[in-house]
Amino acid sequence: MSRYVMVADLRRCVGCQTCTAACKVANATPPGVQWRRVVDIESGEYPEVRRTFLPLSCQHCSNPPCVEVCPTGASWQRPDGIVAIDYDRCIGCAYCFMACPYQVRYKVEKVTYAYDGIPMDSELAALDGRRIGVVSKCTFCQERVDAGRAQGMVPGKDPQATPVCVNSCIANALSFGDIEDPESEVSRLLRENESFRLHEELGTEPGFYYLVERRGVKAR
Amino acid sequence: MTSAKANRAKTVSTYCYNCVAGPDLLTVKVVDGIAREIEPNYEALRIEPVCAKPCVKAYGLIQKLYNPHRITMPMKRTNPRKGINESPGFIPISWDEALDTIAARLKEIRSRGVVDESGLPRVAVSFGNGGTPAFYMGSFPAFLSAWGPLDFSFGSGQGVKCVHSEHLYGEYWHRAFTVTADTPLVNYVLSFGGNHEVTGGAAAVQRHADARARGVKRVQIEPHLSVTGACSARWIPIKPKTDAAFMLALLHVMVHENPRERLDVPFLRDRTASPYLIGPNGFLLRDPVSRKPLMWDEAARRAVLFDAPGVKPALEGTFRVAHAIEVGADNELFEHHDVDGATEFQKLVDHLRPYSPQWAEKVCEVPAAAIREVANEYLDESRVGRTIEINGVTLPFRPVAVVLGKTVNNGWGGYESVWGRTMLALLVGALEVPGGTLGTTVRLNRPQDNRLKSVKPGPDGFMLNVLNPTDRENWVSKPTGRNAHRSLVPLVGNGGWSQALGPSHLAWLFQNDAPKEWPKPTLPELWFVYRTNPAISFWDSKHLSETMSRMPFVVCFAYTRDETNHMADILLPDATDLEALQLIRFGGTKFIEHFAEHEGMVLRQPAVAPRGESRDMSWIATELARRAGLLEAYVGGINKGAGMPAPLAGKTYDFSLDPGKEPTVEQIWDAACKAATAVLTDGKEIKDLAWFKEHGFYMKPFKRVDWYLYPTVVAQGLRFELPYQERLMRAGLELGRRLHESGIKWWDEQLKEYMALPAWHDLPGHWEKALIRSGANPQEYPFWLITTKSMQYTAGNNAGIQLMHEVSQNVRGHGGLVLNAATARSLGIEHDDWVEISSPDASTRGRAILVQGIRPDTMLIVGQFDHWVTPYAKDLHAPSLNTVAPILLELTDATGSGADLVRVKVRKLPNAANAGAPKHSGDGRAPATA
Repeated sequence: MSRYVMVADLRRCVGCQTCTAACKVANATPPGVQWRRVVDIESGEYPEVRRTFLPLSCQHCSNPPCVEVCPTGASWQRPDGIVAIDYDRCIGCAYCFMACPYQVRYKVEKVTYAYDGIPMDSELAALDGRRIGVVSKCTFCQERVDAGRAQGMVPGKDPQATPVCVNSCIANALSFGDIEDPESEVSRLLRENESFRLHEELGTEPGFYYLVERRGVKAR
Repeated sequence: MTSAKANRAKTVSTYCYNCVAGPDLLTVKVVDGIAREIEPNYEALRIEPVCAKPCVKAYGLIQKLYNPHRITMPMKRTNPRKGINESPGFIPISWDEALDTIAARLKEIRSRGVVDESGLPRVAVSFGNGGTPAFYMGSFPAFLSAWGPLDFSFGSGQGVKCVHSEHLYGEYWHRAFTVTADTPLVNYVLSFGGNHEVTGGAAAVQRHADARARGVKRVQIEPHLSVTGACSARWIPIKPKTDAAFMLALLHVMVHENPRERLDVPFLRDRTASPYLIGPNGFLLRDPVSRKPLMWDEAARRAVLFDAPGVKPALEGTFRVAHAIEVGADNELFEHHDVDGATEFQKLVDHLRPYSPQWAEKVCEVPAAAIREVANEYLDESRVGRTIEINGVTLPFRPVAVVLGKTVNNGWGGYESVWGRTMLALLVGALEVPGGTLGTTVRLNRPQDNRLKSVKPGPDGFMLNVLNPTDRENWVSKPTGRNAHRSLVPLVGNGGWSQALGPSHLAWLFQNDAPKEWPKPTLPELWFVYRTNPAISFWDSKHLSETMSRMPFVVCFAYTRDETNHMADILLPDATDLEALQLIRFGGTKFIEHFAEHEGMVLRQPAVAPRGESRDMSWIATELARRAGLLEAYVGGINKGAGMPAPLAGKTYDFSLDPGKEPTVEQIWDAACKAATAVLTDGKEIKDLAWFKEHGFYMKPFKRVDWYLYPTVVAQGLRFELPYQERLMRAGLELGRRLHESGIKWWDEQLKEYMALPAWHDLPGHWEKALIRSGANPQEYPFWLITTKSMQYTAGNNAGIQLMHEVSQNVRGHGGLVLNAATARSLGIEHDDWVEISSPDASTRGRAILVQGIRPDTMLIVGQFDHWVTPYAKDLHAPSLNTVAPILLELTDATGSGADLVRVKVRKLPNAANAGAPKHSGDGRAPATA
């Protein structure tokens, strides 16, 4: 069985938000909704300061608290690890908001447009009324993954079967694939590099890994 | 690659060239005639560097296409009064009316002559960032070439605020209009404010990420911790405008604190002017007969010609020469017998002696130990003596590089910094060799698409560089353009790009404060503006707007209403990025980090039909040419290659258009596609427009060895014209004489910059003196205000794109004033407070963004905002350095550039509720008729 995960190499990410924008365009999310964003974190005190760029989206946890608290089963986990939302079952109660420790879920109550309530043709064409009043978040581009697999493609290898954020990344900081496949790119990266996951102490078992340095090699 | 994926959907291959790091290849997914998605061009992923992945800006192109604020009809002004507080009263008109109105004006001007009584072109043109408009304007350059003399003086920031000194000196010394590290091979990079993770485009981001992953160390030296600083191994906060002092100290450590063999002595001896002898008057010692420069031959123990066979020149020392001459300014001869001549390298050694790290510590406010450590790391990593094979050619391998950013490499200190950077490379032989510091393109020399071919032997064993004349007979004593580039800046030359690279802020300044020694510059009678908004992007934006309001007839190609076209008489809606047709060159070596392993052609094609009545630029150009009676010259210009990626006819091919007929847009670009592929393949493969629409691009391999200038320099037996700048010193002396003979003393400060070896002087002091001269007290304006670019916005002319604003908010600094948290506390300012940032000239407002990663005496504003007309952008209420930065002659350096640097004071606004109100009363919203 496949288990899809995402890997972000923090040595490579430059915080450019190309993945953020690519996700917004491909998934037609309304203003202010960012299923993916890259946060800009400063640490230290002048003059010993560091800035770190950290891609953040749904962590597609193996033990997803959002699924646990969802009263309708709208938030659910696929066998391949992708945490999905069934918009037809979601009642917008926002329990999942409270349960998710990563603050990556959104809910919009009404249709909004980029420019003063004036809809653009592209917005009208992509409008999905099912997303109003319900919770949404990163889907790992599940439709894209499924469509690609149906054509015999390999997610993480063939761009047509890979999440758009990964395809768009100009730093090649993002990777996607099956962690159960030892030959996959994500498996290789995790073998060769030190990594961490966000809030591992909570036992959520995120399916999103962050690389920090190569095993046995201290970054300069 | 226009392939139907389904009955309703198609993907269209095109490119984004919103900034100089383009083109980024991409595809547009179109469903039912609506552009829906932008994706990388997966067919092009094999092209190195990977330019098939567009950066964040390209994802805004769909909003740019469908933005409801677009102008999609030609418009004319109905309010004859122009001004910030005047509503233009634009009303829609037909294309016929718009074009006929412009054509009638052009004809009338032409009937009186294209140059006015002051000797200045009657028609002026302003374009946007770094030449990128050329990749969108179709055949419009052919229309301009058909017209004749034009004034490109009225800058919009580029040409002055760009990496200006780097352009001029870089191209002079090593054909490096733009400079980069050889990122794929470099191991150690010193970056003085370089911001390649933001401005280098997708290729740079990917290459630098690869470099970090393999352990490259980059030391970022800058006053604030930029995005690039964040991605570097070390950040060294330096006082603004003291970078040259840091570099002088690095050179000092290399020359005075390390054994000579740690430098690349063979390179210095054989490929630079280091062994040339300098006479007592500071000029080269020359043979009295041939006038060739002399070197000291260690074997023969006498002075010999620099090109004498078998010479073993001394690198260091002072030698007694039996008979020699010096050629001074205005051909003044100094004849010597038994004269002492010091080598250029000896001059350098002596020059660098005072600049110890301890000295620099006081100037830069960086510990001496840190400077010394960096210098020694740089030497350690330079691997002098190592070689590498590239495409079968064995070359020196020097994996160390130095790169500079804006405000370091422009304005006062630009010369010193670019010289320092180039000398750091020179001392270890890391100039134009694998791993080192490289140029990537030329603009002042030709051909622009092959910098290696631009190298020609010149006098004295150096590359040929043609300066604007400074001798008495040929100096251009009366400016031929409104920024006087030929009269004031010898180094900029007089090629196609020279005027735009002149002191383009002076064109604006002289309109209000003209030099009394020259004829008062007239206003152009017609001003074309394309893909630029100088009323926002240049300094002293309010006064610029006032000057614009006096322009008698302004034609703006208009995407939306903006602060510049607020003064327009006619607005022309050109088709935007995803709506129009154009073929351009791609690959090879070009701006920033686009030194590629491929070269070829890429097509921009309509993904969807143009919105409303907007029209392809090539259509507009053809119609203007026809109606102005310039059709034959226009088509002739296209045939010669104006606006085209190649001439339409060559030795082995001829796809030229009939000059007697009006070509369609498709005919123009079909011929261009065929001609371009004929040039690329020596006529072996001819691809037409239909082929390009299907496939998107045509590529062939580009040899990596051609990234490096060194083999060309060796093949032609040339030397890099460093370290000693005899020729520039002479040009400066002559220029000074010419100006003084004309009674001009106001350029004297600039003349001091013509130093043979750049010496430190108080560079930050230029700004402090300017404050004092304006009647202000520098202590009342204690902070240095600087700016930095943003990948989301840089050069994109996209401040009105909602998506860019939204995603940019994830990167700190956008829309506010970044200041040190401790400084803010001392001023009683909290995070997110509204603050007012003031220079003696003006104020701008924004929210305070408190960070640790900035010097306590420095403040930062990202990008260029403070819009008051541009829809959406005007509601962001973001501050701008341009609002408070003055245009001053005294802050202009000898190359004609300035820097984005202002001394300011800051205060917390007491009435936060009103702080964000527009500052230009009576405006800030489009009139009902628009």
